[in-house]
Amino acid sequence: MEYKIIVQEETKPVEIELQDEFSLKAAIDETTYDVKYSLVSDRQICLSVDGKSVNAYVADLPEGKSVIINGIAYLVQDADLLAQSQVKKSSDSGMPEEITPVTPSVVVTVLVKEGDSVEKGQGVIVLSAMKMETTLNAPFSGTVTAIKVSEGDKVAPGEILVDIEKAESDEESEEVN
Amino acid sequence: MFKKILIANRGEIARRVLFTCREMGIETVAIYSEVDRKAIHVVEADEAVCLGEAEPSQSYLNIDKIMDAAKSTGAEAIHPGYGFLAENSEFAGRCQQEGIIFIGPPAGVIRDLGDKITARNIMLKGGVPVIPGMTQAEPDPKAIALEAEKIGYPVLIKASAGGGGKGIRVVRTAEEIEDSCMAASREALSAFGDGTIYLEKFFDKAKHIEFQILADQFGNAIHVLERECSIQRRHQKIIEETPSPAVDDDLREQMGNAAVAAAKASGYVNAGTVEFLLDEQKNFYFLEVNTRLQVEHPITEMITGIDLVRQQLKIASGEELEIRQEQVKGRGHAIECRVYAEDPENNFYPSPGKIIHMEEPSGPGVRNDCGVYSGFEVPMDYDPIISKLITHAEDRDQNIQRMIKSLKNYILLGVKTPIPFLIDVLQSEAFGKGEVFTDFIDTHFSSWKPEFGDADLARIAYIVDEMNASRRKAETGTVTNLVPSPFSTLGNWRLTK
Repeated sequence: MEYKIIVQEETKPVEIELQDEFSLKAAIDETTYDVKYSLVSDRQICLSVDGKSVNAYVADLPEGKSVIINGIAYLVQDADLLAQSQVKKSSDSGMPEEITPVTPSVVVTVLVKEGDSVEKGQGVIVLSAMKMETTLNAPFSGTVTAIKVSEGDKVAPGEILVDIEKAESDEESEEVN
Repeated sequence: MFKKILIANRGEIARRVLFTCREMGIETVAIYSEVDRKAIHVVEADEAVCLGEAEPSQSYLNIDKIMDAAKSTGAEAIHPGYGFLAENSEFAGRCQQEGIIFIGPPAGVIRDLGDKITARNIMLKGGVPVIPGMTQAEPDPKAIALEAEKIGYPVLIKASAGGGGKGIRVVRTAEEIEDSCMAASREALSAFGDGTIYLEKFFDKAKHIEFQILADQFGNAIHVLERECSIQRRHQKIIEETPSPAVDDDLREQMGNAAVAAAKASGYVNAGTVEFLLDEQKNFYFLEVNTRLQVEHPITEMITGIDLVRQQLKIASGEELEIRQEQVKGRGHAIECRVYAEDPENNFYPSPGKIIHMEEPSGPGVRNDCGVYSGFEVPMDYDPIISKLITHAEDRDQNIQRMIKSLKNYILLGVKTPIPFLIDVLQSEAFGKGEVFTDFIDTHFSSWKPEFGDADLARIAYIVDEMNASRRKAETGTVTNLVPSPFSTLGNWRLTK
């Protein structure tokens, strides 16, 4: 079976050859790994890769799975599943569509004006919460149609802070490759 | 000793206080807001009172509601934890008025030490070395500029009314000083309602060393050794350790004596922390007193074996301090890492959410002061603290290995955490050598990004999980493949005679 698995925005093909129960071969890049595993619990898999044990903890997320190995959490996605869900809803899976805070925050700086064109990923507004600052970025390229807040305003999750109208040409570039 | 105590806080510190109360057979009352209905401090207390909406002013900061809860449950004392109302002199005063014991210093002491300028003056009178700087508020930027010339640049403009990084400006040249004064004052006015500023000398390479103090109502005061908290991000502590690699026995004695002098000069009662800055020449200067139990108190408990919360309760109930200074000895080394729901890839912005699954590390010398559990929804309304992970070992090198191992074994699925960042800091050469100053993160980790070295293993794990998820669903979930039994197809029925 071939999978296409995305980690940190890098997609790699993974070729799986099932062997006995709880045993398989996995080919990634130029390497083939001998994998035996045991399902310790619903969350924990003890993998033995080429004889070396490693514990992986896995949870399902809306945007894929979270896999923790050696203290590092990886967001892992199946490129094929992602493409299917994109057909159903024409939006970037996992990426927020709207400019809204994840936690109650205060507006520090608005980086754009009404009428500005923005590129996908461009910083749009700077917020502060619990003494930390973060910048929210445009989820797609387009034009700023409305700025709904001013510096110093308190904002809450769910509130749309900046309206951006998606540029038409951007819809074509949303295929997953 | 009290029979019943109300804990005016939430999360891990409320639980911490609960633990000691339970050990001592004291009944506990928890308070909570709507979003904390299933929080661990609520479910583990003997009684719990709901205060209302999540917004702090309606709940954990609402003095009237908390006083009502104490009176209606018959609590004799209130433990304020840290944050929220812990250093609010009005709250302490209200408790006194209503005949409820506030577990902490007297309201007047909290008020005096809460004003930075007043605190500096108390310390000067008490013979405690103080950072060169101003001892009175100065509204005129030109006068401040003159002072700055005298002290020597770089200088630090600070707000008298508060901290947490607000109203603070570092000024390196005479050209910038007047503008910086106005900016700092505006920020302080907006954050604390008081734009009063003053000036101190600024040290680029300084260590933040604080001393735990305990003082009873009879004038006895001791220190319980130091903690080094130099690893900070935007003036927020991240990693704390004791003993400090920079403090030898002589320095410890000098600073410890200064801490006790600070306690006595301010009329301190109960547990507190005296913070100092240590410059590169090993001169130390008073910074401020935190009139509460600190977040990082567990590391002191680990090396001394003293239960600081227990000491707080004993002092508050009128007992005399039984520990003598010469009995205070530290053994081994302790580190604490603060684990918050923060996104290390997004500037450590708070990232609240549901903890899908968690597994705490364990083993010799491992302690996790945790306020959450698997399935708990970390609310977005408060500081997103998950836990404090503390390790204790025979020496610093061993302890660093112990903490790294424990962080790697700490599983938190569903929320983002700074664990990868903490691991990298602890593994760094600078940390290993103890070359830690308050500019540590800016110097070594300002553009840190996590490394995803096991990405291919993660891919394999994903596939294995996916393959077995289908099997799990078939076993427990939809039963479309099974032959329906008469009982499941019967529908509603009833027995009649």
